[in-house]
Amino acid sequence: MSASREDKRLVIEALNGVAAEMHDRMMRGEPPRMTLPVRSKSNIAFDERLGVFKYGKKRTIRDATSLGSARQLLRALHVIEFIEQMIDSGKSSTLREMYYISEGWGLGKFGSQNDSNNLAEDLEIVTKCLREDFRLRPEEDGARIIGNITFEELNRRGEWMRINCRDDVGDSGYGVPYNVEDEKLRLIEEDIDFVMAIETGGMFDRLIENGFDEQHRCALIHLKGQPARSTRRIIKRMNEQWNKPVIVFLDGDPWSFRIFASIAFGAIKTAHISEYLATREAVYLGITADDILAYDLPSDDLSSKDIEALNAELTDPRFSDGWWRQQIETMLELGKKAEQQSLAKYGLDFVTDTYLPEKLGQLGLA
Amino acid sequence: MARTPRSEMKQASISEFFEKNKHFLGFDSLQRSLITAVKEAVDNSLDACEEAGILPDIRIELFRLTGDRVLLIAQDNGPGIPPDAIKKVFGSLLFGSRFHTIRQTRGQQGIGITGVIMYSQLTSGKPTHVVCKVASEPTAVQLDIGLDTKRNVAITSNRRRVHWIDEATGLEVEHGVRIEARMKAKFQRGKQSVGQYLRMTAIVNPHARIQYTARNEDGEIIEQDLHERVSDELPRQVEAIRPHPHGLEIGSLQRFLRESEERKMTSFLRHNFCGVSMRAAREILERSELEEIRKPKSIKAEEAQAMLAAIRQIRLLPPPTDCLSPIEGLLMKKGLSKAIDSRFVNTVTRAPAVSNGNPFQIEVGLIFGGDLLADGPIEVLRYANRVPLMYQQGGCLLSKGIESIDWKKYGLEHPGGRGFPKGPVAILIHLASTNVQFTSEAKDAVAENEEVLNEIRLSLQEVGRGLRRHKRKRAERAKAQEKFELVNEILPEISRRASMLLGRTEPDLAPVITRIMNAVFCEEEFEWDAEQNVQRCRITIHNYTARPRAYSILTTWPEAEGAQMTSEQPLGRRETLGLWTWRLETIPPGEQTTVEFSVSGLSKGAWTDTEVFFRGAGSIIGASPVDEDILADMRAEEDGRGASGEEVDAVVFEAVRSRSGVTVGDAVAVPPDEGASDAENLGDHRFDSTAPPTGDDSRQSSLSDFRGVDE
Repeated sequence: MSASREDKRLVIEALNGVAAEMHDRMMRGEPPRMTLPVRSKSNIAFDERLGVFKYGKKRTIRDATSLGSARQLLRALHVIEFIEQMIDSGKSSTLREMYYISEGWGLGKFGSQNDSNNLAEDLEIVTKCLREDFRLRPEEDGARIIGNITFEELNRRGEWMRINCRDDVGDSGYGVPYNVEDEKLRLIEEDIDFVMAIETGGMFDRLIENGFDEQHRCALIHLKGQPARSTRRIIKRMNEQWNKPVIVFLDGDPWSFRIFASIAFGAIKTAHISEYLATREAVYLGITADDILAYDLPSDDLSSKDIEALNAELTDPRFSDGWWRQQIETMLELGKKAEQQSLAKYGLDFVTDTYLPEKLGQLGLA
Repeated sequence: MARTPRSEMKQASISEFFEKNKHFLGFDSLQRSLITAVKEAVDNSLDACEEAGILPDIRIELFRLTGDRVLLIAQDNGPGIPPDAIKKVFGSLLFGSRFHTIRQTRGQQGIGITGVIMYSQLTSGKPTHVVCKVASEPTAVQLDIGLDTKRNVAITSNRRRVHWIDEATGLEVEHGVRIEARMKAKFQRGKQSVGQYLRMTAIVNPHARIQYTARNEDGEIIEQDLHERVSDELPRQVEAIRPHPHGLEIGSLQRFLRESEERKMTSFLRHNFCGVSMRAAREILERSELEEIRKPKSIKAEEAQAMLAAIRQIRLLPPPTDCLSPIEGLLMKKGLSKAIDSRFVNTVTRAPAVSNGNPFQIEVGLIFGGDLLADGPIEVLRYANRVPLMYQQGGCLLSKGIESIDWKKYGLEHPGGRGFPKGPVAILIHLASTNVQFTSEAKDAVAENEEVLNEIRLSLQEVGRGLRRHKRKRAERAKAQEKFELVNEILPEISRRASMLLGRTEPDLAPVITRIMNAVFCEEEFEWDAEQNVQRCRITIHNYTARPRAYSILTTWPEAEGAQMTSEQPLGRRETLGLWTWRLETIPPGEQTTVEFSVSGLSKGAWTDTEVFFRGAGSIIGASPVDEDILADMRAEEDGRGASGEEVDAVVFEAVRSRSGVTVGDAVAVPPDEGASDAENLGDHRFDSTAPPTGDDSRQSSLSDFRGVDE
C-alpha cells in the first residue's frame, strides 16, 4: 500500500487499526501489542524500484508483557486519541506541544520530548500515514531560499501569496514553512539552471553577497545543519517538478556526509517515507577529502568521535558506493576534516571565483 | 533515691604518672585533649547514672575561646557525689568503684576525671569548678578543685553550700554533678570531633539523653545537637565477678594465696575465683599434688607453679557472663535508626565467649540505604564497652575484622578485597568485655586476638547474609511491583481506552493477566496491632498462571525470641523451632489465597520481616523452595538427637549462641553460601572454657539453614 496522502476518514481508520490490533488480541485472551519495523541501519535496504533506502523486513514487537512496553502501548492510545481530536476539530499542534499535553496523561506520560517524537514516527510507520496527516508539526527551522524562483503560499488568512525568492524577499531569503505539500505551497515559476543546497549560514551569506545566484543562475538553499523534513521535501519537489539538478555543498566531515545521505538516500529515521524525501539525483560537490588535499585547505584533526562516525559509515548501506568508500577511507587516512569556509584562506572571493566554477565545470553546470 | 557507692571506693596513687605520661591518657594533642575531657565526663555520668538506676540526662557545652582555649561544661542528672568524697573522687587517680572489681565498665581504670582536672590546671593555670548535689542533702556543694600532683591530693577552695538552680530549666537540681573546666584545646568539627563522639555515644546508649552545644566566645552557636533517648530501659546491671583461673598469671596467683584468709585450699579456690566447681578444685589439687587441708598462705612458689599448670589442663566452667551488658539487638537498631536514616537495619548479638579467662561479647549492627553515600567507603563505628573509639582506625582489630571479610559476596563493592568495602552502609561494631586489650595505653584501638577476631568475623558474616537477603528481596519485590503495576494499572487503562476509541465492549482481562504475569507471586504484609499488642502478618499467594496450583508454605517467625502464636490457623502447624507450615487449598488460575496469623510477646518494630518457603511444583516469586534435608536436620537437632553426644551439645550451644537480634532482614533462616568456603561456615566455638580454643571446625550453621533460590 503506497503512502499517498489520505483524507481524514482514512487517517482515522488507520489510527484506529492500531487500537483494534490491541483490542482484538485482548479479546482473544492475549496481551495487546504493536508490531513495528526495526528502525536502525541494520534494517535499511535499497529499494530498486523507488531508488531510495527503505526499512527492511525486521520487526520489533512491543507488547504488554513488560512494564516499559505496556506503557508505550498506553501512550500510543493516548496519542491516537489526541490526533483524532485534532483532525476532528481542524487544529494542529507542534510535537513539543503534544509532549507538554502528554504531561497530563497520568500513566501515559512521556519521559522526554524524544520519546514523544519517536512515538509519533512509530505511528506514521504503522499507519503508513504522514505526520502532516496527523496535523503534527516539528520545531525544526525550515530552510531559507534565495533565487529567481516563484512560489505561492497559502497564508493563515486563507489567501494565496505569490512570492519570488529574489525580488520579494530580504537578505535572509524565503523561509520554507513546515508543510510544503501542494495544499500549502505551490511551485509556480523558475528561471534557474540548478539548485544548490548549502550547509552553513556563513557560506550562504557569502554566496548571496557575491551575487552567486544571479551570476550562475541558481537557487541557493541554506539547510541550517541537519535538514528538516520540509527542507528535504522542497528540494525533492523542485527537482521533480522543475527537473533541475540538485548540488549539495557542505563541510568536509563525517556528519556532513550524513547530511548528504539524508538528502540523497533517505534518513534512517524516516526510511518509511524515503521516497517522499530523498532526491536520488542529488550530487555531492564538496568539501571532499580530495579537496582538502588538492586545495591544501586549513583543516582540523579528526576527533575520536569523528573516527567512530566514519567507521560506522563504512558499514552503512547508504555509503556502499565505490566513490564514497574511497572518500571515507581517504579521510580516515588523512586524519583531517575541513569546513567549507576554510576556502577563505585564498581570499573571500575564492569560493565564488575559482572553487565553485571549477567544480561545477566538472559537472557541466558552469 | 540514689545510692551512694562510697563503700566500694578504694585508693591508689600514681598522680605523678600523669604529669609524665599525659600522652597515654589521651591528652597528647589539642584536638584529642578536648575529646578526652568530654569522654571522661560523659563516661562518668553514664556509669554513675546506670549504677544508681537513673536514666541519664547529660549536657555538654563548649565555649571556644581565643588562643586555642576551650571552656568545657559538663552536667548530668546522676546520683551526685557525697560531699566528703568529692575531693577524693576528683582529686586522685584510680579512685572510683571500678578498680579492683571485674566487670564491664567504660572507664576501665578510673583515671578519668582527675586527668581532666590535671590537664586543665596544667594548661590554664585555673582550677576546675564543681557543683555536686546528692538527693539526701538539702543543698548542693560548690567548690573549685586543683591538684597537688606530688602528694596526690586535691586542693579545694571557695567551698560553699548553695541551692543549685539549673540555668536551663530554672528549677532546682535534685541530684547531679556539674563541672566547668578551662583548658588548652582545639575545637573542630567532622570526623574526629566532640560532635561525632557524642553522636556515636548516643547511638550505643539509647537510654541516654545527650545535649551538645558549642559556642563562640560571644555566645554564637557553632554546633548543636540534641540526642533524645529512644529507650526507657537502663542497660542490664552488671554484676562484679571474680577472676577466672584460666586468665591467671603466676604473680597474681601468688598474691591471692598470700592475702587469702581461707584455711583450706578448696575453699580458697572456690571463693576467690569463678568457674571452679568442687570437682574441679579437687582435680587441680590432685594434679598439683597438694592436699586440700593446706593453708593457702603456706603454698610455696613451685607449688603455685604446679597449680597453675594443673589449672591450665583441666576443664572449668565458663565465667558467668552477666558481668557483660551488651547493647542488645532492638536497642541497637533503635539507636542506629535514629542516628542514620535508612532502609534496613540488621543486628547480631553473639553469645558471650571467653578469651584468656575474660568473658567478651561481640555485637554488630549493619545499616543500609537511606541517606548514606552509595559511592564512598562504608562508615565504621567502633566501640569498646560502649565507648566510641575514634582514633587509630587502621590499627584496630575491629576494623581488621571488617576488612577481612569478602564483602563482594554480600553485595558490596570491595575492590581487591582489601580495605573497607564501598556502599551506602554503616557498620557498628561493639566489643563488650571485662578486660578489653588495647594496642596502647591510649585505648584507641583493640589489640589482636584470635578468639575475638573469630567472633567478629562470624557476626559480620551473619549481618552480611542478612544484607544479601534483603537486597535480593528488594530486587524481587521491585520486579514483582513492576508486574503488579502493569496488570493493575496499565493494562486496564489500555483496555479501557482502546475500547472507548473503537466503541467496543471491554474484554475480560483475566486470561490476559495470566499470560502476562505467568508466575505465582508471594506478598507479605505486616501490621502492628497497638490495641492487642500483637504483630499481625499476612501472606498472600497470587496464582497468575494458567493452571491451578497447590502449595504448602512455611514462614519463619521469632519463636526463639520468645514470641507466641496467638491466632490459630486450622491448617497451620509448627514445623520446627521458628518455622510454621500451612497447607494451602488449591488456588485456581487468576486467584489468590491468604494466610494470616498474629504473634505476641514482642514489642512494636521488633519483627517486621519474614522469610517464606514453599513445597510444590514450579517457582514462586518472593519465596524460596524448601530444602527437605536441611529441614530434617533442624528437626533432629531440636529433638536433641544428634550424631554424637558431644557434637550435639556443641550444635545446640551454637544454636543458642548465635541468637540474632530480631530485626528486619534477620530472620532465623540462614542460607549457606553458594560455594561455601571456610570463611563462610559458622565455626563451632565451644562454650565451655578450656585453655584458649584453637580455630573453628567447618561446621554448617545448625538452626534453620535453608538453601536460598538460585540466582
